[in-house]
Amino acid sequence: MKVIRLLHEILREIFEEAAYERFCVRNQVRRSKDSYFNFVSATAGAENKMRCC
Amino acid sequence: MLASITETGTEYFGFTLHMRPGLRILLWTLITLLGALALGTIALHRGEQINALWLVAAAVCTYAIGYRFYSKFIAAKVLALDPQRATPAERLENGRDFVPTNKWVVFGHHFAAIAGPGPLVGPVLAAQFGYLPGTLWILVGAVFGGCVQDFVILLFSVRRDGKSLTEMAKDAIGRVGGFVAYASVISILVILLAVCALIVVNALKQSPWGAFTIAMTIPIALLMGVYLRQLRPGRVLETSVIGFVLVLIAIWGGQWASQTLAVAKYFTLTASGLAIAIIIYGFAASALPVWLLLAPRDYLSTFVKLGTIGLLAIGIVVMHPTLHMPPLTRFIDGTGPIFAGRIFPFAFITIACGAISGFHSLISSGTTPKLIRRETEIRLVGYGAMVCESMVAIMATVAACVLEPGTFFAINSPAGIVGQAADKAVNTISGWGFPVTAAGMQSLSQSVGEQTLFNRTGGAPAFAVGMAHIFSNSLGGQAVMALWYHFALMFEALFILTVLDAGTRVGRFMIQDALGHLWKPLGRTSWYPSILTTSAIIVAAWGYFLWQGVRDPLGGINSLWPLFGIANQLLAGVALCVATTIIIKMHRAKYALVTLAPLAWLVTVTFTASWHKIFDSDPRIGFLAQARQLATAGGNPRLIFNNRLDAVVTGILIALVSLLLIESVRQWIGLLSGRRVAQTAEAPFVATRLAQERV
Repeated sequence: MKVIRLLHEILREIFEEAAYERFCVRNQVRRSKDSYFNFVSATAGAENKMRCC
Repeated sequence: MLASITETGTEYFGFTLHMRPGLRILLWTLITLLGALALGTIALHRGEQINALWLVAAAVCTYAIGYRFYSKFIAAKVLALDPQRATPAERLENGRDFVPTNKWVVFGHHFAAIAGPGPLVGPVLAAQFGYLPGTLWILVGAVFGGCVQDFVILLFSVRRDGKSLTEMAKDAIGRVGGFVAYASVISILVILLAVCALIVVNALKQSPWGAFTIAMTIPIALLMGVYLRQLRPGRVLETSVIGFVLVLIAIWGGQWASQTLAVAKYFTLTASGLAIAIIIYGFAASALPVWLLLAPRDYLSTFVKLGTIGLLAIGIVVMHPTLHMPPLTRFIDGTGPIFAGRIFPFAFITIACGAISGFHSLISSGTTPKLIRRETEIRLVGYGAMVCESMVAIMATVAACVLEPGTFFAINSPAGIVGQAADKAVNTISGWGFPVTAAGMQSLSQSVGEQTLFNRTGGAPAFAVGMAHIFSNSLGGQAVMALWYHFALMFEALFILTVLDAGTRVGRFMIQDALGHLWKPLGRTSWYPSILTTSAIIVAAWGYFLWQGVRDPLGGINSLWPLFGIANQLLAGVALCVATTIIIKMHRAKYALVTLAPLAWLVTVTFTASWHKIFDSDPRIGFLAQARQLATAGGNPRLIFNNRLDAVVTGILIALVSLLLIESVRQWIGLLSGRRVAQTAEAPFVATRLAQERV
């Protein structure tokens, strides 16, 4: 169970679900179209999307 | 398996186990013996085929010993990882960029960012020398080079509040260092993106099934973007699963599309047509809002990537196929059809990712350092994630080498070398001592649902055939070979196009950043005239090289992949220069060999390769010789110009890195002789609360 939980946590971080949750907590907003749009805009920088060859 | 000793027990690749010292010694003796046996088997067997599991065993044991002993030495003696020191994730925690994160989560995040198409393509191309040179370079290069680079750069970035490689180069070596790092990153991006696009073009040309499947991933990504934005905000995993199911349907639909003439004609594209489509796509991906195309495509690609790599690992172990490729082929003499040039230096620049890749230093000094919770976890993330990427490269070697050599060369050799007609190609390849028949190739093409597999240069189709061979033998049999082939092709193309759109965007940001110094509005990342201008500049740059590759009668990969390899390894040279300077400034010069040795090797390899690529008298190797040959024969002026341009680009890259090397050596001499005062730009020490809680 611990391994599955950890795996789920890893996937949530890779797929930025955890980051979105932190964004909502930090800005004291709820999950919504607008808050998600603001989150994606805030994390759209080059550094966050760097992918290696 | 991979371990280090802690106060409470032995840490095995992040897990702490308690083991008696005698048992521990016995375990490591067995691992060493198994590794030696496996390496001996793959190196010394001649004239007999060996099982792929020998490669896997050699790799696992080498990585285990490298992680257990070498990375521990670096952690303890060279870098002196300090469990008491607070990381920027803890000190600067803001819930956005700086977030103390579980080491396994950072590990997964880092691995997903560093693992790209490189470790899949490079080893396939290098298999023209046989399985041995590539395998040995992947193992030695990773343990002593790539893993070390990722590890040290990650730590140095953590100690500098997550600074980027360019900033660290500026701090450690001065403005020259900063400028060279910036120029190297831009150059490698342009060449990388061109090569990536060329691989996709070569894999999808005249392939309606493949082109249809990949074309469908664009509306699927758009749909995912809208779903995430409008219907289920933030539910990325759920959306990725839906996207993956749609991609599977698209693969299945591709078969229908390829068999329906009215549809197939729209997806049967020439190389030039595909190149134009990809250039337009790259521009759109860079200019469109990130939530609409880039982000969902990135999620989809990551989802497929992680799943498929896991599946391939299981497939190889379950199937344990026999390698049909010999350990060494006749092409070690430099006359290879895929790319010309001898093992030294060309094997070492052909395989960059998987052994050592300069691009990783950008990830190690990007988001990862801002997530590290404790300094001691850097070893697992930096060294460990690279070990995993290197293992992916070994799997790619296996996938290429399970093919009959004749088939491998028929797929990977350009028409300019073996001829356009099937009969001529099989005669040429059989004449090299690698028997292959036109009927056999026709049958293979039909079994994977393609019209032909001849002249599919670039590595991706050969890898897809090998992967389909492994998968279909473990699940579904020959009947589903075509589906597995197109799944593998989709996986690679999706992977590559994600690098393409993310890279184009990163390049756009870098150009905007630079132009912002000239005129402020150009630096604004949300100002549309600036977005369109800078997107056009970066797309035009890689698009030019792509077009050059498409028009090249030798297939393009022959000239562009070595150029990419040189650029990538030179960037690794920049990273190792920075790391060596910092190690000397830390008053640990006696350990500087840890980064200096791979740096010296890379400088030797890249400078030798560059010399050959510019000045070699063989027109298949030297750009200038090829330009001269074309000029003498009254060839296309554009091709002549392109060869000269490639020579100039290689020369500029070498000149830039030479400049950095000279500046670095000046620094080292000054520091070691005491004429310069060592000033590190490390953030001041702050005791961690996390470590105190733990200790």
